Amino acid sequence: MLNKILRARVSELADKVNGQVEESLGVLELTINYPYVLEVLTRVKNFADVPCDFLHDLAGMDLEDHFEVVYQLSSLRGPQRLRIIATIERENPVIDSATPLWKGADFLEREAFDMFGIQFRGHPNLKRIYMWDDFEGHPMRKDYVIESHEQRAVMRIRKEGE
Amino acid sequence: MMIDGTQEYSVNMGPQHPSTHGVFRMVVHLDGEVVTNVEPKIGYLHRGLEKMAESRTYNQFIPYTDRLDYLAGPHNSLGYVQAVEKLMGIEVPERAEYLRVIFAELGRVASHLFMIASGSLDICGWTPWSYCTRDRERILDLFEMTAGNRMTLNYFRIGGVSHDVPDEFIPALKSFLDDMPEMIEEYYGIFFGNEIAQSRMKSVGILPKELAENLLITGANLRASGVQYDVRKAEPYGIYDRFDFNVPVLYGCDTYDRHFIRLLEIQESRKILQQALRDIPEGPVMAKVPKVVKPPAGKVYHRVENPKGEMGWYIVSNGTTKPARVRIRTGAFVNVQMLPAIVTGWKIQDLVTIFASMDLVLGEVDK
Amino acid sequence: MDALNNIFVNIAAYIRGLFADSHSLSADLAINIIVFIMLFLIMVVAALFLSLVERKFAHWVSQRSGPNRLGPHGWFQFIADAVKMLGKEDIYPANVDLFLFKIAPMMLVGITLMAYGVIPFGKGMVAINLDLGIFYFLAVSSISTLALLMAGWASNNKFSLLGGFRAVAQMISYEIPLLFSLLGVIMITQTFNLSSIVEAQKTIPFIFLQPLAFLIYLIAGIAETNRAPFDQVQGEQEIVAGPFTEYSGLRWGLFMLAEYGNVVATSAIAVSMFLGGWYGPGFLPGWLWFILKIWLVIFIMMWVRWTFVRMRVDHLMHFAWKILLPLSLANIFLTGLGIYIYQLFIPRIGG
Repeated sequence: MLNKILRARVSELADKVNGQVEESLGVLELTINYPYVLEVLTRVKNFADVPCDFLHDLAGMDLEDHFEVVYQLSSLRGPQRLRIIATIERENPVIDSATPLWKGADFLEREAFDMFGIQFRGHPNLKRIYMWDDFEGHPMRKDYVIESHEQRAVMRIRKEGE
Repeated sequence: MMIDGTQEYSVNMGPQHPSTHGVFRMVVHLDGEVVTNVEPKIGYLHRGLEKMAESRTYNQFIPYTDRLDYLAGPHNSLGYVQAVEKLMGIEVPERAEYLRVIFAELGRVASHLFMIASGSLDICGWTPWSYCTRDRERILDLFEMTAGNRMTLNYFRIGGVSHDVPDEFIPALKSFLDDMPEMIEEYYGIFFGNEIAQSRMKSVGILPKELAENLLITGANLRASGVQYDVRKAEPYGIYDRFDFNVPVLYGCDTYDRHFIRLLEIQESRKILQQALRDIPEGPVMAKVPKVVKPPAGKVYHRVENPKGEMGWYIVSNGTTKPARVRIRTGAFVNVQMLPAIVTGWKIQDLVTIFASMDLVLGEVDK
Repeated sequence: MDALNNIFVNIAAYIRGLFADSHSLSADLAINIIVFIMLFLIMVVAALFLSLVERKFAHWVSQRSGPNRLGPHGWFQFIADAVKMLGKEDIYPANVDLFLFKIAPMMLVGITLMAYGVIPFGKGMVAINLDLGIFYFLAVSSISTLALLMAGWASNNKFSLLGGFRAVAQMISYEIPLLFSLLGVIMITQTFNLSSIVEAQKTIPFIFLQPLAFLIYLIAGIAETNRAPFDQVQGEQEIVAGPFTEYSGLRWGLFMLAEYGNVVATSAIAVSMFLGGWYGPGFLPGWLWFILKIWLVIFIMMWVRWTFVRMRVDHLMHFAWKILLPLSLANIFLTGLGIYIYQLFIPRIGG
């Protein structure tokens, strides 16, 4: 029943933002283009009857020709689940930040930035979270070359004033 | 140079510090003894598990999952193997399902016991620490007699569990469950009922319900803030829908409740374990799974209620033997964000208590 | 029994007898040097042994296995610890105030040792029979605050500095209830001399006349010696080890020595003031009774330490100023009232 309402709401939204609705293993999946992401998330968060108001996960994903940011949404008060996939160009990976909607998206976005180099517009503190600040490259990208052991074993010398 | 008035200063706590539960580092800004701001710095234990998963087959990755939340190893693997099974559509034998629940819940009890232990140790309660670890040891013994390992079990497999439990396992578990009420009374007597401990924890570090939801806090920390939400109830995975248990919820939102809810959850886990022991059938423990695990192309998001928070496994398969992407959403990683949000204005001693009440394990935070 | 009771006094008299004039300067000097060495040995051995007993006790309370490798049931562990500590390299960090850094642990040990001078271990067994004994003890023990602050400041470490400040705040606050709790006894006995105070307890130990004062003294004494639940100064979980953070090897060992020495001294004063000193049933010599009573007090202190969790800094201050201080004042008032009523019936008391 709820699923039917959610499906109706999502397809309505998909028409508006030019997205595609799929279903994989019982979860609705809405694929959109990145400029619409903040609008879609805001609407999804405020769906009548079936609000998907809990951002469960935010993950980057590298598909070689483009990036994706995957939002797993659910609710603390109902069984509704929704997956939103926002596609981003590889050359210019910029997307709106979800931090205005959920403060907790902060770390998740920092991780996606650290690992994939996806820029989140409007993020309060977009810095590397796992890797050190002057680390070069984004390790989770498919084209990231893992350095050889010889290279990795070289000790990093602390710079002056660090 | 003369400086007028008081001045804030910053202290670097960690990664080597007695009470950061691993290699957590925080830059603490202090005004005297009062904390004005905390910047958590993580990544000292980052092993790049997600990257590693991409170069390993599905089965090869199982041992790594135990290293996420190393205090409750079984539940991590449970999430992973169930996600892969969902992707492949594998039916798991009944006995294996029950064994999985038993191990997962034992892991939860062990993790919560250790949380209470380290929480009390952070306010110098050596004796409660010792009591909790003494009893946790019995769980680790149970693990050891089954899997040969005490913390990182590597016991679950895609399609079941690696082998059946030894004969002495069930009696040992039964006697442990029988002793549990007495243990819980003991913890209450020495730690939760202690007046000094209560004055240290009650109404310290309030995390209001709205803030908790906005910060995407999950797990016991969320339940201590007045939200009755548990994945085991809301979206039962495995055979959790067969068990009769409650989801404890507390409304104090403070450090004491975040500690105390773990004690309540241990009691609920005991219920589950007793029912599982009652109902466990005989039979095989491993389904017929092809030697080479090759799930069809597709994606699955599977979440489990890890002791430290919700754990989500987003696995994207491209039809080969290696996953295209394994995304691990760990509860503790997201829960770190509550520290800077609630710690302002408390003393440095409270910072330690609040930090302990979050129940972080750095293996899970840093992945 | 009498010979056993006075064994140490007789030895001292014998040594004096070796000199031509038993009250000459050289005789006094010899006796004092021997007494000093004895006191130092008592402190060192007691501290070393206490460090082991504490661990044993902790492991007994919290049901884990303690040191159990060296000697029978691990009872020689403290020797190994001492040897290890002596053998360690003397490390001091860069940018410390070296003079203060080095002198702070020595100063703390010296102060603790000074306090031993007035403790009456038995009848006539006191190094310096000061008429202002208890006053001297309080005066000396309050200098140790300074040593801790010196250590905290000199270490050039923020954790140490925090510990040093905590030490000052805590020890100065708890000195006041400590002093006031002793005043009740002094009002009854009308003397500051510790030996006289013990002798006044021949019939009844003052713990029965001053139970509240004993409790206050014990609590404040635990706070003065920086032991849990009042070990804010070390506060291992938040400020690593407070003033001792940067210390290692023998210097750290000196701090531990001073801590346990302080525990013994505080218990000794408690025994002299409240528990009747060397008096006890006659089947044991007096000095043994004294030692046994000290162990009893130490046992209580350890029991408290391993049962309770640490208080918060501000709760600690509230406890000192809002609970202990009024209580100790009330105790003084009640004692005065009691003495007045007593004097109405028996015109002359005390001695």
